[in-house]
Amino acid sequence: MTVKWIGKRMMMGVVVLLVVSFLSFFIMHAAPGDPATAFYGGNAQTLNAAEKERISRVFSLDRPITAQYGSWLVETLKGNLGISYKEGRPVITILRERLPNTLLLFGVTMFFIIVGSVWLGTIAGMKAGSILDKGLSILSIATSSIPAFWLGILFISFFAVKLGVLPSSGTGEIGGEGGFWDKLRYLILPATVIIFTHVGIFARFLQENIKDESRKYYVTVARANGVTEREIRKGILHNASFPYLNYIGMTIPSFFGGSIIVESLFSWNGLGQLTIKSVVTKDFPLLMGSILLIGMLVVISLFIIDFLMYSLNPKLRKGGVQ
Amino acid sequence: MLKVNQLSIEINGKRIVDGSSFFVPRGRITSIIGESGSGKSMTISALLNILPAGSKAAGQAFFDNKDLLAISNKEMSAIRGSQIFTVFQDALNSFNPSVKMGKQLYEFSGRRIRHSVAEFHLKMDDILNDLGLSKAIMEQYPFELSGGMLQRCMIACALYVRPRLLIADEPTSALDTLLQKEFIELLKGLNEKQGTTILLITHDLDIVAEVADKMVIMHKGKVVEVGNVAEVFERPKNAYTKRLLESRF
Ligand SMILES: Nc1ncnc2c1ncn2[C@@H]1O[C@H](COP(=O)(O)OP(=O)(O)OP(=O)(O)O)[C@@H](O)[C@H]1O
Ligand SMILES: [Mg+2]
Repeated sequence: MTVKWIGKRMMMGVVVLLVVSFLSFFIMHAAPGDPATAFYGGNAQTLNAAEKERISRVFSLDRPITAQYGSWLVETLKGNLGISYKEGRPVITILRERLPNTLLLFGVTMFFIIVGSVWLGTIAGMKAGSILDKGLSILSIATSSIPAFWLGILFISFFAVKLGVLPSSGTGEIGGEGGFWDKLRYLILPATVIIFTHVGIFARFLQENIKDESRKYYVTVARANGVTEREIRKGILHNASFPYLNYIGMTIPSFFGGSIIVESLFSWNGLGQLTIKSVVTKDFPLLMGSILLIGMLVVISLFIIDFLMYSLNPKLRKGGVQ
Repeated sequence: MLKVNQLSIEINGKRIVDGSSFFVPRGRITSIIGESGSGKSMTISALLNILPAGSKAAGQAFFDNKDLLAISNKEMSAIRGSQIFTVFQDALNSFNPSVKMGKQLYEFSGRRIRHSVAEFHLKMDDILNDLGLSKAIMEQYPFELSGGMLQRCMIACALYVRPRLLIADEPTSALDTLLQKEFIELLKGLNEKQGTTILLITHDLDIVAEVADKMVIMHKGKVVEVGNVAEVFERPKNAYTKRLLESRF
């Protein structure tokens, strides 16, 4: 049963990645501008028509899109993501340099968002009507409606420019002395921006689930018959975790989308910033590579969440009997 | 054992129960009967201090000389956890859907009277058997059982803990006649052998006639008649009671 479920999920993940890659390939080609000119950057005006055509032919840009996509797919499946137009290095090498930074930012922010929201949401939800309960409802709306880029700029001007205690941009010296601690210093501002704009709304969501669950009939029945408060709480939290996990799953794609902005703002050397850069430079192989990798991260995260839900919720496990 | 005096319940300003008074004598079976929506379940909720948010209860309800409507939450929890057991009307929703029945039944019964899990299994298997349930249900989840099965599970817990006061809100609504008979016998046994006081809410006049000593008739939020079952059946005073009794034949 479980093996079958995992197999099915993996198939779905592959299909999603295929659709995403095809759509991005298509959109990329439909976008205005021409990679041949972009390739020449500042000297683009000096290119004549014949030279443009030659570049197009060399990069096979004159073939039909579906054919181009087909060869990209075949090569990708062989593990070859091509060479970056701009950097002249294999795409896979560039992605490998960037991936750890994105994983670090994603891991650290997700960790604190989950820990913080579970902590806040649980206390607020379990004490319906308390100051914390009402306070969190207001605070969450306030923090989640602050745009991340605006908060980022505010942070930079305060902590980096005015106080000068934290670096405003970059990922730090990699491999240098104290490389990890150095990186951590650079991580603080972007991570704080993401955590601050997300933790409230996540906590609020959990809080509401807990309050809803606490009103369920079975809770009253248990309470009226002397079931220990500890057991009752455990039951409430267990059931309130299903919609919470579902919510995390639903926000993960937009979470990656949002981190693109924050990465760019803080020049964090991750996949998000790389994506923006390759869009601007029309570096197609690099763009496809980074989209594919981000897509894979999303698919894997969703898989982990689905798996958690599946193992926690017996209704899902027993084939969704209602 | 339980003396309810001028109990009124309001939910969001609407009066649901209006000045109801009745008495549940120790060691007897008392039955509350009345049409749907007459406030029977709400009366129970008020006694146990589990009314829905936005409701108010006034009056008195003495249980062992303690007014259930006036005592602290802590005292109430202690009473609910040691003196009274309640089988609720909606058995389908009485259990946590994501916890196995075995664990939940233990929390409702064995844990309450400080039995170990091993003792619990020993005793509960027999009770379930008497109620026509196999012990395999312990490994199942509530949504895998029928309403009648869940109802019997709750009844099993009541039989297990042998409370001083057992409140049962339409405990046989999802059971077929054969199982109903079985349950009535168990109820009688509990009352006669253990001396358990029982407050039984039902729609079924046959059950009242069969087991109850005293009856309370409710109509539109008011207690319209109280008395010994035999007397009320013989000489009903209230017009609604008369109609109710006539409908039986
Ligand atoms: N949560 C609630 N909020 C508001 N009104 C309610 C609520 N629950 C019940 N009521 C109202 O209270 C009244 C009494 O309901 P109650 O459940 O006590 O009836 P009952 O006698 O138990 O009926 P039944 O035999 O159908 O179980 C009904 O008129 C109902 O509309
Ligand atoms: Mg009822």
